[in-house]
Amino acid sequence: MRIISGYVLLYLGAFFLLVSSIGLVRLPDVYTRMQAATKSTTLGVFFSVIGVGVLNPSWLVKCIVVAFFILLTAPISGSALLRASYKAHSPISSQTTIDKTKEFSENEDGEK
Amino acid sequence: MIRSIFYSLFLGLIIAAVLMFLVAFPFGQNKMGVGQYYLDNTVKETGASNVVTAVTLEYRGFDTLGEMTVLFAAATGVSLIFYLSDEEKKKKKRENNRTKANFVVRVGSRIIFPFVILFGIYIILHGHLTPGGGFQGGAVIASGVLMLYLANPDIQIGRNKLLVTEGLAGLTYVLIGLAGLFTPAKSFLANFLPLGTPGFILSAGILLPLYIAVGVKVGSEFSGIIDDLFSTIDENGGEE
Repeated sequence: MRIISGYVLLYLGAFFLLVSSIGLVRLPDVYTRMQAATKSTTLGVFFSVIGVGVLNPSWLVKCIVVAFFILLTAPISGSALLRASYKAHSPISSQTTIDKTKEFSENEDGEK
Repeated sequence: MIRSIFYSLFLGLIIAAVLMFLVAFPFGQNKMGVGQYYLDNTVKETGASNVVTAVTLEYRGFDTLGEMTVLFAAATGVSLIFYLSDEEKKKKKRENNRTKANFVVRVGSRIIFPFVILFGIYIILHGHLTPGGGFQGGAVIASGVLMLYLANPDIQIGRNKLLVTEGLAGLTYVLIGLAGLFTPAKSFLANFLPLGTPGFILSAGILLPLYIAVGVKVGSEFSGIIDDLFSTIDENGGEE
């Protein structure tokens, strides 16, 4: 049972990593690509690491710590990179219709 | 023309000589006795399970003092070019008015910072047991400081505090070394503390305190360099 659930987690992680790598190639602009590279990669790595921990229980605590730090750091670096590319006026795909950052950037300037 | 022919002939001669000597060595065999000696005797002689640490601090501890001096000279050089007093730095920062990092980065950096420092301390303390040590751990600590500086433009570590820490750490290294002169071994950096059981954190005699001193020194030195470099960044530089 433990072995099966461990492999299920591993393959789930591999699936999310595959999805994110397809998205990295197929999506049109920086912002959507970063979504693929941040969100689903985080989830994929998380499931893979936890799967390794389930398969080998003596590593479980270490794996949980690793997963915690990945959950903590990947979104932060993703948000910083995205904001930097927005400030550098990276072109937005023509299919994008809503730009919330533009609406909120005025508030941010007022805060500063 | 003649000169370049002469140079190429000379270079060819040197390469030929080097190759001749290399051919004399049997391929794939260990002709150096020193490396094998270290591998065989390190644990017995120093009590450190990490052979690299034993070589850097025990067999060649004096060289490490020289390395620290080189690092000190480099940090001093950066300070010579970029030094500003703390008040001037604050003023300059206000003038620059750097863009704040976003909320996520600011909060996240504060959460991660203690973990980075903890990891750096771990690397320093386990220098004689696992790969790593004072230089690496100090660099990790400085990278945590770099992260704080990147995320929060207002932050300012007192430069004088860093200088005092750095000086005290260097002094500790030299004092531990001098203490070796008053022990039966009567040599600079002699390992006079009990060696203990290899593999435990309190083992390997003076290697642990020496590496702590190195780690503190490297960490504060790099943090000082980061501080110097950051405070003189001109956001609009190059575009004016």
